[in-house]
Amino acid sequence: MISSRTEGCTLTGALSVTTSVQDAITVIHGPDGCAHHNFSLLHALHFDNDQLNLPSILSSSLKEQEIIFGGEFALEETLSGAMGESPGAIFVLTSCVAAAIGDDVRAVCNEIRGCPVVVIPTGGFLGGGFSDGVRSALIALSELGKGGDPNGTVTLVGEKNLEYEAEANYREVQRLLGLLGVKVRLRFVRNIAVSEIAQLGSSSLNILREESLADVGDLLKDRFGTPYLPSFPLGFEGTLTFLSQVGDALNTGSDRAISMELERQKGIIDQFSELRGRAVNICHSDHMPAPFLSELLELFDLQVKERGQILTLPDPIPVGTSGLSRMLSRWQRVLHA
Amino acid sequence: MMKQIALYGKGGIGKSTTSTNISAALSGMGLDVLQIGCDPKRDSTRMLMHGRLIPTVMDQVRERGDKAITQEDVVFTGYGGVRCVEAGGPEPGVGCAGRGIIATFQVLERLGALHADVVVYDVLGDVVCGGFAMPMREGYAQEVYLVTSGELMSLYAANNICKAIRRLSGRSRGQCRLGGVICNAKNLPDEKQLVATFAERIGSTLIQFIPRDPVVQRAELNRMTVIEYLPGSDQAEAYRLLARNIIENRRLDIPEPLEIAELENLAYDFIAD
Repeated sequence: MISSRTEGCTLTGALSVTTSVQDAITVIHGPDGCAHHNFSLLHALHFDNDQLNLPSILSSSLKEQEIIFGGEFALEETLSGAMGESPGAIFVLTSCVAAAIGDDVRAVCNEIRGCPVVVIPTGGFLGGGFSDGVRSALIALSELGKGGDPNGTVTLVGEKNLEYEAEANYREVQRLLGLLGVKVRLRFVRNIAVSEIAQLGSSSLNILREESLADVGDLLKDRFGTPYLPSFPLGFEGTLTFLSQVGDALNTGSDRAISMELERQKGIIDQFSELRGRAVNICHSDHMPAPFLSELLELFDLQVKERGQILTLPDPIPVGTSGLSRMLSRWQRVLHA
Repeated sequence: MMKQIALYGKGGIGKSTTSTNISAALSGMGLDVLQIGCDPKRDSTRMLMHGRLIPTVMDQVRERGDKAITQEDVVFTGYGGVRCVEAGGPEPGVGCAGRGIIATFQVLERLGALHADVVVYDVLGDVVCGGFAMPMREGYAQEVYLVTSGELMSLYAANNICKAIRRLSGRSRGQCRLGGVICNAKNLPDEKQLVATFAERIGSTLIQFIPRDPVVQRAELNRMTVIEYLPGSDQAEAYRLLARNIIENRRLDIPEPLEIAELENLAYDFIAD
């Protein structure tokens, strides 16, 4: 996936991952502004999601002098300060300024003893956009995984920590896995402690949040031998396929789970039968998977017309049967309005 | 009217030697001269200061913060009353030296230090980033003099700098022009003619030929400019001529850089002969 320049800086993407490790401190090696803006943004988004946690972010406070003479000493001092807080780990992100002047961040971090220090070479905008930051962070944090014998559980990889429905999506995946008798061992990375990351590589299956994380999935497969599914379940049919794929991967069998879910889906389609045959104009983002939309049009016999009722497909699109149910409920409210 | 000149050229070609001797010669003409070394190596003005490495602007900023600095902290008077400034910068391999040059100009502007009959900017070998083009921008040096020998790599570097001059001169506020080419000879055959032909091809002129002479090394070993060490020597006279030519020069050109093949053919023609 080519990340767009309109989606922000790598720092925000990487921070969306690292600040979800609860006992870690993230150091941004850059000017104070990088930390300030990202802190404000994360705080506001978490607040919107009814979470009052303040992200643990420190800045190495690069100023003109550090830009001219090098910022390695400033980073050393910031790391020493961070060590004083006894964190479970320190994650070090690089800003575009640090990348442009070529500070040897790894060399500085290698000198730190007493807690894991993980360098995430984000490079601010020089490293790409938000999604690149997410991938860089997941790849860097995977260094803390210890692997182990596959134990029949799954690990969720790359949940979207800033999305409004992150917890609802997690509960839906957990419910679907429950139909197969499968448990989530690790959420890599959402609301976990540093010590939990050691379990990375000990699940029998990784499930990626979305397909753009395929290179993270490939890396974990190479390193720990863990196979992966490329995405959380999307669409009615996609959800049934998801159950089948997980069942196959873990040899749990999935027929019973699929028939139970199919019954649930039929119930939901009946529940929203009022939508059937309506003239609609559906707004969606450019990267909407075509099968998702065509399935909805077909199931409800929706007529796409320019002057039809305007309905919105959320981005990211809803996860699993429950996600669709929430979306259809919103559509119904729009039609009643 | 204040004249501001900048010397550019390949590393090791003799820019600092040429700059200090020009400054010394200009002071001998009764002019008030300010020489600014724009290289983290900070050795541009050493011969004017009798071997002393003066504190640099960047050192002072680092130690005391830029608000606490006065002109006396960064401007030092050397031979013939020439006032000397070194920009300084980071240790090799860290930080951003180009940003250091930009910051130095900001400090010197704030201190009101950029005034003299002639300001001589002695700049790092290659214009590797915008910072080292600073002396050519913002109306600082209006005249650039390229220092080169007849060696291909030296001509190549000079040609590259022409690209920077050409680009900067195209800007609406761009006042930077090429004043001429100084041949700092390596005693190659037909070297003067080669460099003169190069100068002509890029649309400029050879402003002075400086022969290679052991007196330059002897003067430097005695921590002096040639002008001071052996004022009656032919070499000192060559530097005085150069200084006079620069002061009297009214020819300022927007150069036409050569393609690499043209440059190679030019050098080849002279070597083959």
